[in-house]
Amino acid sequence: MAMTDYNMLLERLKAQFPGAIQGESEFRGETTLTVGADHLIPVCRFLRDDPDAQFNHLAFVTGVDYSALGREPRFAAVYQLYSLPYRRALRLKVPLAGENPTAPSVLDIWPGANWHEREAYDLIGIRFKGHPNLRRIMLPDEWVGHPLRKDYPLGGEPVAFTPTMDDPPLEGLGTQVLDPVSVPPVRPPEAQPHTLVINMGPQHPSTHGVLRVVMELDGETIVNAWPDIGHLHSGIEKTAEYKTYAQVLPYTDRMDYVAAMTNNMGYVLAVEKLLGVEIPPRAQILRAIMCELQRLAAHLVWVGTHCLDLSGTIHALLQYAFATREDIMNIFEMVSGARLTPSYIRIGGVARDVPPGFVPAVKRFLETFPKWHRDIARMLDKNPIWMSRVKGVGAITAEQAIGLGVTGPVLRSTGVAYDVRKYAPYSSYDLFDFDIPTGTNGDCYDRYLVRMEEMRQSVRIIQQAIAKLPEGPVQCDDRKIVFPPREELDSSMEALIHHFKLVTEGFHPPEGEVYACVEAPKGEIGYYIVSDGGPKPYRLKIRGPSFSNLQASSLMAKGHMFSDMVAIIGSIDITLGEVDR
Amino acid sequence: MDWIDTLLIPAIKAIVVTFGLLLGFAYMTLAERKICARFQLRYGPNQAGPFGIFQPIADALKAIFKEEVVPEHVDKWLYVLCPVLAMVPAILAFAVIPVGRPFVLAGRTITLQLADINVGLLYPMAVAGLGAYGIVLGGWSSNNNYSLLGALRTTAQIISYELPMALSLVALVIVTGTLRMSGIVEYQAALPLIVLQPIGFLIYFICGLAETNRSPFDFPETENELISGYNTEYGGIKFALFFMAEYINMIVVSALVATLFLGGWQGPILPGWLWFFIKTAVMLFVFVWVRASLPRARYDKLMHFCWKFLTPLAVVNLLVTAAVVLILRG
Repeated sequence: MAMTDYNMLLERLKAQFPGAIQGESEFRGETTLTVGADHLIPVCRFLRDDPDAQFNHLAFVTGVDYSALGREPRFAAVYQLYSLPYRRALRLKVPLAGENPTAPSVLDIWPGANWHEREAYDLIGIRFKGHPNLRRIMLPDEWVGHPLRKDYPLGGEPVAFTPTMDDPPLEGLGTQVLDPVSVPPVRPPEAQPHTLVINMGPQHPSTHGVLRVVMELDGETIVNAWPDIGHLHSGIEKTAEYKTYAQVLPYTDRMDYVAAMTNNMGYVLAVEKLLGVEIPPRAQILRAIMCELQRLAAHLVWVGTHCLDLSGTIHALLQYAFATREDIMNIFEMVSGARLTPSYIRIGGVARDVPPGFVPAVKRFLETFPKWHRDIARMLDKNPIWMSRVKGVGAITAEQAIGLGVTGPVLRSTGVAYDVRKYAPYSSYDLFDFDIPTGTNGDCYDRYLVRMEEMRQSVRIIQQAIAKLPEGPVQCDDRKIVFPPREELDSSMEALIHHFKLVTEGFHPPEGEVYACVEAPKGEIGYYIVSDGGPKPYRLKIRGPSFSNLQASSLMAKGHMFSDMVAIIGSIDITLGEVDR
Repeated sequence: MDWIDTLLIPAIKAIVVTFGLLLGFAYMTLAERKICARFQLRYGPNQAGPFGIFQPIADALKAIFKEEVVPEHVDKWLYVLCPVLAMVPAILAFAVIPVGRPFVLAGRTITLQLADINVGLLYPMAVAGLGAYGIVLGGWSSNNNYSLLGALRTTAQIISYELPMALSLVALVIVTGTLRMSGIVEYQAALPLIVLQPIGFLIYFICGLAETNRSPFDFPETENELISGYNTEYGGIKFALFFMAEYINMIVVSALVATLFLGGWQGPILPGWLWFFIKTAVMLFVFVWVRASLPRARYDKLMHFCWKFLTPLAVVNLLVTAAVVLILRG
């Protein structure tokens, strides 16, 4: 039924814009439409506004350089759309010819395309016509070249293999290293003459990392706020093109380092979707438990630091939050050996089965956590000073939030119940009974309440998951994807060969492209993988929730006080590692 | 009247008060760090000596021997002067506080108070008000946007809290009938004034938090927003002087609360100075307690709170007190 509606919609689209749709492909249940650049704007407008389409959520915009595959045209711009009312996804691809391709900007249709288009310009070199502020976003303005192009070597320059340091080829290296230059403070041209322009960050205690916000203040009232990101850009997407699928996994831990498990989860789901493998139920439920524990841990970090921002370093709540987070970290250490970057969720299952002490430890945690949670809630929920700091501050409407591509608790605080766990259940989330808390005002206080309630719901999920945890294998039995068990290596030649192949070159997924997303503590984290059939991803695009959510900060900050900026940044809950990637 | 009364005894008292306050400051920092640590499920300083008792000395040595850095862009004269401007009034304010029962030594009655002046209550308010200049000018002379905002916040703050603070003390004067500190303490021999003036006590204490720039009203500093605000550009001993001013102000406000509302050195069994010490210490603990458990307000909210709530409340308190006193005395 739904599928035929969908097909009818595509038929209507083709009928309405003859010649616009150059191609249509299906892969792993995802539809990709190839749209001519000239028709992109009307097609997008139709897809957003038509009552049967309503693709109101633009997950990301990016580009792919096909030059290594020898395809013509060389570039394609990619738009990942999602319809919140109909719960279905659609991907648009716009082939772009030439060395300096230009695509029309969809900024007027989805304001959230702003930073995504800047990123695509910065890293791939696709220009977006009509974008008012098409500057580099991750790299410095004076950077040469676009790193995600295939002719751009990893590290910026080709490094010859030489046995000693004295060999001549090494002398020319380092051209990509920019000299440090002292730039005198620049007053943004938009700033009015009577205002004070103040630079918050990149070294500032309340920007949660190396975020820089240039603020124009009238007295202490914010007239304008321009976030400036990219100080922590580490080129994970470029690095991923040089690693096998399994080797990319640890990099995902290091993006949103307070929520590593959910990062793993999204990546692993994308690769598994590409491979088309089935995961045993025990592994699925273990993954869900880990993701919910991670959500608790991430929300505890958030509530601690948010309160710290609004209180001062002596406030005791941070340590309360971290004390109970410690139990979660210990559980992670128990299952994976690592606390912050566990890499526990692996392609094909989980790294290894949980030890016998795992279930009792989780049960113990579930008993103690509600008490900590209650303490935290009682310190803040009705505290008049807290309310005066967060209530009515940084409010956005549901339309603004959806338009900006905001997801996660920030979106839900406006009343939109978009949660990937409910909208497109993955990893056995459909087995559990839980609620999606929403707010009404979309202000910092509602975001606070939504996250606090989410913690209670996560506890519910873990309780059900522990009760439903079945026995059985924790990895799929496809020997071409996961390692054979150790004991098989001694007896089976075939197992040895599989092991050797996996270690030396990795597995070969089919050619195609997939997008998979999960509900991270901060919102929808998605991975778009283009596979050329080789053992390494041809292109990996990571859709970080903080990146999109942070875009909303300018809008939230306008008209509020300087002190409210820290409340707003805290309530968006960003991790710069994932914003900048 | 001889030179012993006019010169020697006050000189000794002044030295004792000054050094007592400096010692009090030093161990207040340690106490705060220890108490906060317990609030935060930590141990606090425990390496320098048993229970970290030498920590303040180590901190002081570090501050003193740090290289003196004067940034190029500051207004040098004011910049160097301001820590002193903040520090001196803080110590001066303590002069009128009686710390114990007068005693007789070699035929002379010695009051444990530096100066028992007849406008004793006005004096600390006047002097403490001067301390704000140190912060305002310190932030201004630093020539730094963040410091400037911190300094401006101080001015906004001072015009907010001083009025209700003074009004709460006027009600107290109506009850006791004197401005002299020793008279106020004697009045409380039977009953501490907190019982007669509970609202006045609350108003004074809240304003005291604002006056000392302590959480939840530490707007000039706000390390999370203004990156230490007015003292961002200060380092070494100059920073320590600001720090000292804040803590000595805290001690003075606590001592004033103890004297004005909790009965000062009056109390059964224990010697007077110990009662005074205990009461001051309790108030200081409350300062730390508040800091560890309340979020910071916003500076405009403090202004709203002071002007729209505390000031009217203080006026009502004053009128009711005056009416009751009038009726009781016929």
